Amino acid sequence: MGISLSKLTEKTNIWPWLLLAPLGIYMLIFFVVPLAEVAIMSFTEPKVSLANYQKVLTGALYQRVFLNTFVTAAFVTLCCLLVGYPLAYLMAHSKPRTAMLILLLVTMSFWTSFLVRTYSWMVLLGNNGPLIAFLEMIGFDKPPQLLFTRFSSTLAMVHILAPYMIMNIYTVMKKIDPALIRSAESLGARGWSLFRHVYLPLTAPGIANGSVLVFVICLGFYVTPVLLGSPREQMIAGLIGHQIEEFLAFGLGSAMAMILLVVTLIILTIYHRRFGLDKLWG
Amino acid sequence: MTGMKTFLMPDRRRFLKTAGAAITASLAAPYLVRAQEKILYVNTWGGPWEAAAKAHLIDPFTAETGIQVKTVSPVSFAKLAQQVKTGTYEFDVTTLGGGELVRANQAGIIEALKEPYKGGLFENGVASHAFATIMAWRKDKYKESPKTWADFWNVEKFPGGRSLQRYASRVIPIALLADGVAVKDLYPLDVDRAFKSLDKIKPHIRVWWTAGAQSTQILRDGEIDMIGIWHGRYFEAEKAGAPVAMTWNQGEIERAYWVVAKKTPNLENARKFVEFATSAKPLAGFSKAADYGALNPASNQFVDPADAKRMPTSPDNYKLTFEQDMANLGIDPAELAERFEEWVAS
Repeated sequence: MGISLSKLTEKTNIWPWLLLAPLGIYMLIFFVVPLAEVAIMSFTEPKVSLANYQKVLTGALYQRVFLNTFVTAAFVTLCCLLVGYPLAYLMAHSKPRTAMLILLLVTMSFWTSFLVRTYSWMVLLGNNGPLIAFLEMIGFDKPPQLLFTRFSSTLAMVHILAPYMIMNIYTVMKKIDPALIRSAESLGARGWSLFRHVYLPLTAPGIANGSVLVFVICLGFYVTPVLLGSPREQMIAGLIGHQIEEFLAFGLGSAMAMILLVVTLIILTIYHRRFGLDKLWG
Repeated sequence: MTGMKTFLMPDRRRFLKTAGAAITASLAAPYLVRAQEKILYVNTWGGPWEAAAKAHLIDPFTAETGIQVKTVSPVSFAKLAQQVKTGTYEFDVTTLGGGELVRANQAGIIEALKEPYKGGLFENGVASHAFATIMAWRKDKYKESPKTWADFWNVEKFPGGRSLQRYASRVIPIALLADGVAVKDLYPLDVDRAFKSLDKIKPHIRVWWTAGAQSTQILRDGEIDMIGIWHGRYFEAEKAGAPVAMTWNQGEIERAYWVVAKKTPNLENARKFVEFATSAKPLAGFSKAADYGALNPASNQFVDPADAKRMPTSPDNYKLTFEQDMANLGIDPAELAERFEEWVAS
């Protein structure tokens, strides 16, 4: 069956395209066309000019928010990696039952509503929350403020995004041939050097995949930093929504969206040159 | 194998065809239904707002006129603008705040309406209900009650964390009042003076709240000690049993207006609905249920005294408050918001 299908595709090359057509048409109508419209609006609303781009690229507010967005995304990605890598390792190298349990815990937070998770953090980190109570119990006179800081927003974003990192690294670790590790050991590699020269390079694709996914998704965040973070934190997605919903500044909002898109594409291109985009899906 | 293939393929093709047709049909369905039945679509905020609107505005309207009504939420100003641009209508009527109303009327995206009660029409929106941004605080924190926005700014007399809404056009007048500007001199806004005043309170603002539920939560849980909050959201914290208090004094009133989307195919029914929704009795019921103040003065006779205490528009409370003057801000609201956001972030 499988063989005859692949023969068929060789003979009539049109088949894979036909199968792709529904998705292709769907993407064309509901993604490419609206995106093109956004691109056009960024140059034409309210009148044909580059004024929107000029405003976004030179305005102090927009520069600050773009910078904050990218710095936040990069930092969250790094934290996800530091938290996710050991956990993925644990999953990949423990008994199937334990691995399943960890997998369940990791994915369970995926099934919980995003807003519920954000508000849960507010309860946990708040002045009357368990964490502050614990700090007071162990002798902190004036416990540090946890909520409404960069710490709390980063914590929550890492919690939300870590599963993407863990799953990506886990699948790569799972595929590593144990024979490679054994042969490295038989050649004398031990401990750190085994990890540094054999294991880590083998898991690099997982790290890269997870990092790109987390980074790109994080670029679009705004509810979490606004609800949990310090007053100074503002992500670009929030600013875009603000311009459109409140001021009907479709042009300005579109210009910001286009710049965000272009920068993201540049990052993905660099990634593609280095690792190949096709690896992103395992 | 070959037999199986030819046997399979047409079937799959048929499946795709049917599935495609089904998807197209289900996507198009709402529009087809709309065209046939002339159902009126009302844009709501969802949740308790929608429940109040259904009970007091929508169901009675259908009972009286026989016009079917469906709701769409949440309220989206951007969608209202896009509807007119694309000619695809998801809703026929919606509510707007004063600032948005002025912008909407300038942009020509709402229909002309006539005055349903005296003083009820402004920029082609019919004034429906009002809410107030009032000062509230934790009773467990302060023995003496703060009275004015100047007290809110006075962190020596009333130390503790503060919160205000991250919304320029609401915060600027409050900052001016705190700095000693009289209500009658508020508009047009002296923006530079307002920002100087805001500089003084900024280090004490722990949160610039952005969502109504968030403001209730931080007051209820004591994350902050004093807050500028919508009165309805304050009463929620009070109802939850939190040790909180508020004052109507210097409360900042904002109006919500019903508007009709420009060129809607349902114009006739939409106008009827707006007239009904702002008539005395339905509006009184809705305002009470959704914790607003009714703006049609005739509604007051349907509000009992206990409920009137909770409304910014009841005569006793109203005289303590002031109203936002959106037509006379003195600055482009978008420009003001940009300056405010930049100030918050710096």
